[in-house]
Amino acid sequence: MTQQTNDKKWFDQLVMELRLRQVHGSAIGDTIASTRELLGDTGQRAEEAFGPARDYAAALELPSEPKHDWVRKALWPSLLGLLAFLLFNQAMVSWTRSEPLLVSPAQLALLATPVVFLAFLPLYLDAFIRRIWVCIGITAICVLSGLLSAFATPSSRAEAWLAIDPLPWLIGSALVMVALSTMNTIRSAHSEDDNDITDPLSGTTDITGRGARAIVQITNWLFPILAIAMLGLALSFR
Amino acid sequence: MNVPASDPQPTGSADWPSDWLRATLGFLALRALSAGPSYGYAIISELEHHGFGTIKGGTLYPLLTRYETAGLVTTEWRAGDGGPGRKYFALTDQGRAELTRLSADWLRFAVTSTHYLDPERLTKEIPA
Repeated sequence: MTQQTNDKKWFDQLVMELRLRQVHGSAIGDTIASTRELLGDTGQRAEEAFGPARDYAAALELPSEPKHDWVRKALWPSLLGLLAFLLFNQAMVSWTRSEPLLVSPAQLALLATPVVFLAFLPLYLDAFIRRIWVCIGITAICVLSGLLSAFATPSSRAEAWLAIDPLPWLIGSALVMVALSTMNTIRSAHSEDDNDITDPLSGTTDITGRGARAIVQITNWLFPILAIAMLGLALSFR
Repeated sequence: MNVPASDPQPTGSADWPSDWLRATLGFLALRALSAGPSYGYAIISELEHHGFGTIKGGTLYPLLTRYETAGLVTTEWRAGDGGPGRKYFALTDQGRAELTRLSADWLRFAVTSTHYLDPERLTKEIPA
């Protein structure tokens, strides 16, 4: 039982390391199957036969997709989605109170913090995934800056740097979120067959791949779902 | 290829310096495939049977993957008899040529080294 648990952890790490190296899903499936084949023959534990998952993934030197591909396909849409979500929340609060959207420089700086962290994600992605304290630290900074931005909201027009009608921004940001989610859904539906982890013999998708597919669809619609929840909350407290 | 299971391996065979195995494992693995397509465990058993010690999967598979990329071997998945599928590795013509070349080079190197290390020759060169 312990051996199975240890091996499952090892295989999870192997998949993550190969994904980080942008290795294609079919090559990952091939690697997992051949690794399991040898473990079945020898009765060894994965770590014993293949060493640390990270080292083994590096030693295989499997062909990888160009690194900038995921930045174009995933990072920039996420960044735009986050911007639209933040803007939607700011505009929504003002709109539900029938007030103009007031903006101060401090508030803008605080709202820009998570956007900047996300924009520079490719520079620290490895540390973000491998070191839990980096992940917790950056998430905490982003949440804190979001909360502080609420306190930095100007209370009167005199304090505000900008005073604008919230409705066009509310509608515009909502449309951007829906458009991005639709685009991501279409893109992931087309790319699923290409990059899923597949068994080399049967051609079937890995079970975790099917679970991951559902998570991908939820993630695609995360910002609109959260925006509707925030709108519901704001309307109920009006 | 069947997994060899008869003759005992030579004494001390697992004690080769790791540097020696690192340098030679490439063409030894090609040699293990020269009789026909084979899979990971059978290759490891073949090398162990011939006195090279137990090669780990973490050493063999990356090597074979590089050889596949270089066009020295091809791979094919075959369904197992009631068991899991097996990934078979087979030499290509390029791989066979590379094995011939490396084997010849190694033999020349081994003869040169043996000649140089010959104790009688050492005695002649260094008079008491």
